[in-house]
Amino acid sequence: MRLASRREPSGVAVTETHVAPHRPPSQRAGAVGGGVRTRRQARRPLGLPWILPALTLSVGLLYYAIGYTAYISTLNWDGIGPNPQHVGGGNYTRIFHDPVFWDAVRHTVYFFVVTFLIQTLLGLTFAVLLHSRVKLAVVYKVIVFVPVVLAPAIMAPVFRHMFAPDGEFNGLLHALGLGTLAQPWIGQTSTALPVIMAITIWEWTGVTFVLYYAAMTQVDQSVLEAARIDGAGNLRTLFNVIWPEMRGTTVALAILSAIGALKTFDVPYLVTIGGPNYATEFLGTYIYRMTIPLDHVGYGAALSIILLVVALVMAILFQVAGRERKARD
Amino acid sequence: MFEARTWRTRMVLQVALTLLVLPYLFPLIVMVKGSLAGQGFSNYTAVLAVPGLARFFVNTIIIAASVIVLVYGVTMMAAFGFAKLHIPFREFYFWLLLACLTLPEVVLLAPLFATAIRLGTYNTYWSVILPLAALQVPFAVLLTRNFINGLPDELFEAARVDGASSFRGFIYLVIPLTRPIAAAVFIFTLIAAWNDYLMPLVFLQSTAMQTITLVPSFFVGEFSNDQTKILASAVITAIPEIVAYLCLQGLFERGLSAGAIK
Repeated sequence: MRLASRREPSGVAVTETHVAPHRPPSQRAGAVGGGVRTRRQARRPLGLPWILPALTLSVGLLYYAIGYTAYISTLNWDGIGPNPQHVGGGNYTRIFHDPVFWDAVRHTVYFFVVTFLIQTLLGLTFAVLLHSRVKLAVVYKVIVFVPVVLAPAIMAPVFRHMFAPDGEFNGLLHALGLGTLAQPWIGQTSTALPVIMAITIWEWTGVTFVLYYAAMTQVDQSVLEAARIDGAGNLRTLFNVIWPEMRGTTVALAILSAIGALKTFDVPYLVTIGGPNYATEFLGTYIYRMTIPLDHVGYGAALSIILLVVALVMAILFQVAGRERKARD
Repeated sequence: MFEARTWRTRMVLQVALTLLVLPYLFPLIVMVKGSLAGQGFSNYTAVLAVPGLARFFVNTIIIAASVIVLVYGVTMMAAFGFAKLHIPFREFYFWLLLACLTLPEVVLLAPLFATAIRLGTYNTYWSVILPLAALQVPFAVLLTRNFINGLPDELFEAARVDGASSFRGFIYLVIPLTRPIAAAVFIFTLIAAWNDYLMPLVFLQSTAMQTITLVPSFFVGEFSNDQTKILASAVITAIPEIVAYLCLQGLFERGLSAGAIK
């Protein structure tokens, strides 16, 4: 996913190198390319009215909400009372000493690493296998992709049922002769988070698979044939030819997974309510818990601001990393 | 990708794939089997007999359709403006929009709740439609702008030389030419709006206004935790989504890949 696309005519770039060889590329393009662009755009009609509805809706509503959240985060407020107490940065200092907050952060990181790795592995495997002339490919594709379109909220009761002590998952273990492994999966701290991860992987492998599948159709067939003629086996071709070609897709999926991990709410809230004993608490569920059931609206708002800053810093880091890599290529 | 020359390798691949796909099927089997436990099909008749079940579907359709129309309209206009028209400080506005890409909806709860109460929009469709649309627009604009950037400038300049206004250019060039990416925007927005849980949970209080994602919790109250009925209601709410996907299979898959490949 390229976050911004600026088209720079190559002719312009060449002239610029003579003008200002020491400035970084982005500035150069802005300076000289700008001149060219202005001349061309002088004839272009003004576009501001065209972007105004989108800006009013998104920027207007969302920035208003963020600004309001920032204000609320300085209050000790239950959300209803007419005279909230101003506490300045008090909520923030409390958050840094809040063990549940740090638990939520740890869960988010752990969740991101595990779900991303397993989804990548599974998505890649499905994409490779379904590109290999198997029978009934469409049936497999549908089965892997259906979870993507099903609402987590609708599947949540199914998973609660399935992972209950007398549920189908333990039933399956017994049937497979693994009855000793049966346990109350969502009722104990040690297994609740892995269950949440498994459900998320179940839900999102379809996306990973579809993206890798689409990327693989773009791999040059002649390169594959050349590798084969050189005597490379299936696995060598996969690791040395196909996998490097998938890098763009993998990076895009890493970004999507990281953002997804920060946004996680539905599954842990509906399947385990963040528990037991905060074992599946994420930033999203903790903000909800603080804001709605516990009425610590100020504290929830401060948590929201921290979540926002983390998300924004991450987005910028990904951007910078993406740019550097592009420059190196 | 894999070359399977012999009959045996082909069998191995097929069996491996079948084994790998079973865990994906398992929860769906549990859902259907659980919904038929106990009283069998009468679980379904009991669920369907509950008055107001159709209302959840109607509400979801109203909300999803409004979000899609709103997102489509403002996105097409904005993407056209960003890609082909003159805007001073264009990239600044674009970045303002892009910064919202990573915004988790849960951070909107407190301020929007307080505002909705004050404006009297609490428990109306608008309190869900507007934030959902606002959250979808940044990604939709990003996708569509990239797509329109790829259309030749000459096309729009020729239209201008021929005396067409920006508005006519928009109607006769942008709208028809952006159909492939509009399909992607449609799918993304549909999935996001249809499956959203948090906004309806917080902003829609009366059951007459609520959406299908709240059906399971509604039935927990209705059937005092009778699992079989709750699973039957899950099947009933999942069926339209599965049918929509099966009918528009290609559109769903192409839409999603268009979103991330760029």
